[in-house]
Amino acid sequence: MAATAALATAVRNRRPAFLAFRRAVLRKPSRIVGFAIIVFFTLMGICGPWFYGTLAVDPNAIYAPPSADHWLGTDFAGSDVFQEVVVGARYVLSTAALAALFTSFFGITVGLVAGYHRGFVDSALMRVTDFVLTIPGLPLLIILSTVWSFGSPWQMGLVLGLTGWGGVARAVRSQALSLRERGFLEAARGLGLPSRHIIVKELLPNIAPYVAMHLLLSVIGFIGAEVGLFFLGLVPFSSTNWGVMLNQAVFSGGAMNSPDALVYLLAPLVCILLLTLGIVLFLDAVDELFNPRLRERA
Amino acid sequence: MTGFARRLAGKLLAGLVMVWVVVTFTFFLVHALPGKPGDVQYEQYIMQGLTPDQAQAKVASIYGFTSHDSLFAQYAGYLGKLVRGDLGESISYSGVPVSHLIWSALPWTVIPVLSGLLVSFLIGVVAGVVAAVKRSSRWGGLLSVSGSLVAGVPSFVLALLLLLVFHTEWNLLPDAGTSDITTEPGWNPDYIGSVVQHAVLPVCSYALLSYGGWLLAMKSSVVTVLGDDFILASELRGIAPVTRARYIGRNAILPLFTVLALSFGIMFAGSFFIEDTFDYPGLGNLLLKSIGTRDYPVMAGAFLLITVAIIAANILADLCYTLIDPRVRR
Amino acid sequence: MSRQKTLAAAVAAAVALTALSACSSSSSKKSNGGTSSGGAKDGGVYTSIDANNQITAGAPMNPFNAAPNMFLGYNQMSLGFDKKNPSDPNDFFPGLAASWTASDAGLTVQLQPNAKWSDGTPVTAADIKTSLAIAYTQGTAGPAAGNFEISDVKDLGGGKVEIDEVPGVKNLYFQRLVLSATIVNDKVYSGQLPADVWTTIAAAQGSDAAAAKSAADKLTAAGKPIAAFAPAKDISAGPFVLTRVGPGEALLDRNPNFFAVSKVSPKQVILRHYSGNQQIWGYMNNGELDSAPYTAMPTNILDQVLKAGYTRVDAPSYVSASIAFNEKQAPYDKTAVRQALAYVIDREAVTKVGEPVGGMTTPYTTGLIHSQTDTFLSDDQKAALNAYKPDTAKAATLLQGAGFTKDGSGQWHLPDGTQWTITLQTVNGFSDWISASTIVANELTAFGIKTTPAVTADFATYQKEMAAGKYAVGWWLVALGPQTDKAYNRIYGSADGYTVKNGQATHSDTSPANWQHTPATYTVNGQSIDPGQLTAQLSVTPVSDQKPIIAQLAAATNQELPMIQIWDYTKVGFYNEKHFTNFPKSGQDALLLNPPGVWMMQGFVQAK
Repeated sequence: MAATAALATAVRNRRPAFLAFRRAVLRKPSRIVGFAIIVFFTLMGICGPWFYGTLAVDPNAIYAPPSADHWLGTDFAGSDVFQEVVVGARYVLSTAALAALFTSFFGITVGLVAGYHRGFVDSALMRVTDFVLTIPGLPLLIILSTVWSFGSPWQMGLVLGLTGWGGVARAVRSQALSLRERGFLEAARGLGLPSRHIIVKELLPNIAPYVAMHLLLSVIGFIGAEVGLFFLGLVPFSSTNWGVMLNQAVFSGGAMNSPDALVYLLAPLVCILLLTLGIVLFLDAVDELFNPRLRERA
Repeated sequence: MTGFARRLAGKLLAGLVMVWVVVTFTFFLVHALPGKPGDVQYEQYIMQGLTPDQAQAKVASIYGFTSHDSLFAQYAGYLGKLVRGDLGESISYSGVPVSHLIWSALPWTVIPVLSGLLVSFLIGVVAGVVAAVKRSSRWGGLLSVSGSLVAGVPSFVLALLLLLVFHTEWNLLPDAGTSDITTEPGWNPDYIGSVVQHAVLPVCSYALLSYGGWLLAMKSSVVTVLGDDFILASELRGIAPVTRARYIGRNAILPLFTVLALSFGIMFAGSFFIEDTFDYPGLGNLLLKSIGTRDYPVMAGAFLLITVAIIAANILADLCYTLIDPRVRR
Repeated sequence: MSRQKTLAAAVAAAVALTALSACSSSSSKKSNGGTSSGGAKDGGVYTSIDANNQITAGAPMNPFNAAPNMFLGYNQMSLGFDKKNPSDPNDFFPGLAASWTASDAGLTVQLQPNAKWSDGTPVTAADIKTSLAIAYTQGTAGPAAGNFEISDVKDLGGGKVEIDEVPGVKNLYFQRLVLSATIVNDKVYSGQLPADVWTTIAAAQGSDAAAAKSAADKLTAAGKPIAAFAPAKDISAGPFVLTRVGPGEALLDRNPNFFAVSKVSPKQVILRHYSGNQQIWGYMNNGELDSAPYTAMPTNILDQVLKAGYTRVDAPSYVSASIAFNEKQAPYDKTAVRQALAYVIDREAVTKVGEPVGGMTTPYTTGLIHSQTDTFLSDDQKAALNAYKPDTAKAATLLQGAGFTKDGSGQWHLPDGTQWTITLQTVNGFSDWISASTIVANELTAFGIKTTPAVTADFATYQKEMAAGKYAVGWWLVALGPQTDKAYNRIYGSADGYTVKNGQATHSDTSPANWQHTPATYTVNGQSIDPGQLTAQLSVTPVSDQKPIIAQLAAATNQELPMIQIWDYTKVGFYNEKHFTNFPKSGQDALLLNPPGVWMMQGFVQAK
């Protein structure tokens, strides 16, 4: 009870929410690190391509070792690996963000409608959700990759979102089910407000934080999936990104056998690890923010 | 126990319906794929110097297994055969039964996945308990983060790193295949030793993949149980610590059965990343290769089997849960 | 080619593995025991990779399967082995045939006096006859243009076999087609063939068109069970016999009954499975292969492999990578545009990035690889060719002449005013093309034509979409030799709307396979030529008389650039003398273009 109340107020009033957020993040240094990593990569994704518009090539400096000119050395075409990592971040991150957007859209819609209406609509929607949850997402993606060309972030994000909304829908539904019986919703219904109003104005704000947590977790999965598809060479690409780099490093640069191309392999690999670490550390703060019980116990 | 039987029947029926939906879905999806299986081979013949007519004739003969019936007739035929366990014939292997290919690949996925699951369960649960008990200490926090991190890192990243360290750098373990050909397959120490040696890295990858799930689930579960009223009550009533530990253990391990299904699903579905990296001839690899060769029947069969495995794991986890937790049984 | 994930598959087989071993373990022991006294010098195990055949556990030991466990030169034999001699298409190494003479009736073959199958029975005329009948069911023989037509196979006694060509048919390549046909055991395979197969073959070659059609269909239908046929054990007439196939490797033992067993030094051969080039590099890095086939590799890997003790051997590869155009799409219909692009692309730089080890920048676009251009063209003719040395000023002049304009920011605009952008299409898995595309795009973009490389998901889709005219500019393999008519057929053939029958070409711009859409005639040196007709003519002209036709085609191709040749592939092989010596060296092209099993038959590869 206390949790929901705190949560509800936190969301209704912007300022206290921000303060609570700041308090939660600042509580542990690991969370600050996590937050910093996320901000760093977000900035990289937004601003990176402004700094290095097109990558220069240099056929005379193929797989050059790290130097003052090329901090992380060069790749198969003599392009700077550091610049490539920075430029490649945008695709990876924007795709993950779009996928999260689509996931939350489908997940919240299905979850709220099912949880609010119950009955036949609920069971029908939940069967669909079960189906989406059961069907193995990654194998489905590789089969889909041959039917649709989802090279652009929008298409890739949509496909990832379409295969990944099951978890969110289920979580939202169970939240909606429990919120439904709460006093303020009873009151809204008693006042004769239309369901759409209740869902959008009353239920949604209360569920948002819960969804946010789910989304951060799924972003990790999305990054893994999209980069993996490029790594396996299953998705045609038109510009560089981390997955393409991994693919080139392993399959044409021989990074597994040659120290020359090792940095080219490790650069995107380390970025993925760092970003995962950042999200994991930061999640801790989000977790505490929405489950204040944890704070009491810790 | 009739309630249990009814529940089981219900689950199985739901599972079957799911399988049917997946079969239908994949059948039509796979037939929407562009490119014919013979196209790839045709081009290779052309490159080998055959004239277009020769190449055409050769492709027609080798890939003559492509059906010319209408899509719905093919679908009906496929379903009919499926009921009898016949998954059709491979196109790229000119007529080798798909079920033969799949049964051949299956052990190379199932055994490493199960071994990985076992290893990660043992380590993950212990680590989870430690992380829960020591949750306010630095080590507990570190353990939890390790769990979330490993759970979050994509499987191919883990596999690549393992390969880089244990094969490229130290050359301790082989990087590809299942065994050394000079060993005679069978129950002899050389062969088994070689198989085990080749399986170490894939199994480790699978174990790492699910370790985080166990750890996190066990930790949160233990934390919850520790705070439960009945534990507090039992502590107040002075019940022996051993008995209390049993209470805690029994109740804390319950939610792990959902993780079991989840882990199994993740590992099975993600197997192609790991099998591709280690060139390990399992189901995931079969699926990848069949996509490259546009071998529709193999593609559909491999995908179907992966799905069936996941559905089965879900049902199993659900039943275990029912058996152990009397509240659900009612 | 350099596809990093080759498409043929390996399928694991715990079940098949045990099954295979169950039926082959006894034979393995026997042959092990039998050969220890036989061979030249007991050579131990030879480890290599068959680039054309990734290992597939569970696949049939049947050379007619699409992904068989048969390895050419080891356990799969033909009457001879093609030396791939560009000036003599009939130049062969002896295989199961010790010698052969062409006659008016066809070809008379003298089998090796000791030619025997691994079960000890001799290779006979019946084996040849069955094998050639199977060739009809597999589409490699028959009346389709270019295929050989046989009326009968006669046993002349004493190991002499006469293969008769259908009277009235004069196929320039009859001899090479017969010699390179796969020979299988009659006892194993004849049961799979219809008893009246030669009657059907005769009907398929008859003059009654309807009967011929139905006979041809019958033959194709008969081919299916043969392709799927899985013999229980390998009966080989080659130097080795397959013992066991695991998911990662195939094990072959020396065949004690092989006709030249005394020349074969290795006692066993292990052929390794590979899923991509990077795996072969890994094996070589660890010194695990005695010889390695051609793989596209970067320079850093080459250095490492040489350091690991390998010696590099080069042989010509009759194929060339090019950037091709769809001339139906503006502005690529203009010769000046294609020439301008050729001036902008620095082919040296592109090769360096795309195919640094296995590629050699093509000096002149002629439709042939450079060594063939050198052979067939006189010095004067070569001097008249345009090398299109990188020259952006020339490119700009050409474009301005064609009505193109350059705006203030340095971007080129089409004559109609729209900005000129290029999508350079490549295909997934062809890592060299993809790498090269980045640099081509970079060069063109720097010149003021915004170019983006695009990658198609797989080769099947690539071909389909290319044929459908969806790509304006894309990568393409040309100069597929060594026969020059094949090389030109690649350009002025079905992909350009030509159909060839008996040396006559018919052109249709609307043919569904046509995506190049070059004009039906070119004007070269003031003379109007029809490249498709010349190509068709080439296919019925003996090599010795081809020079004048090739000169015309080369000059036309060089001037009109239906595609820009970027690099010629070189077949870079490697060997390691850790266990064996006497490998074929660079220069011994005929051997290097054949698998190691053929080297061993000739007495190469001896134990140290």
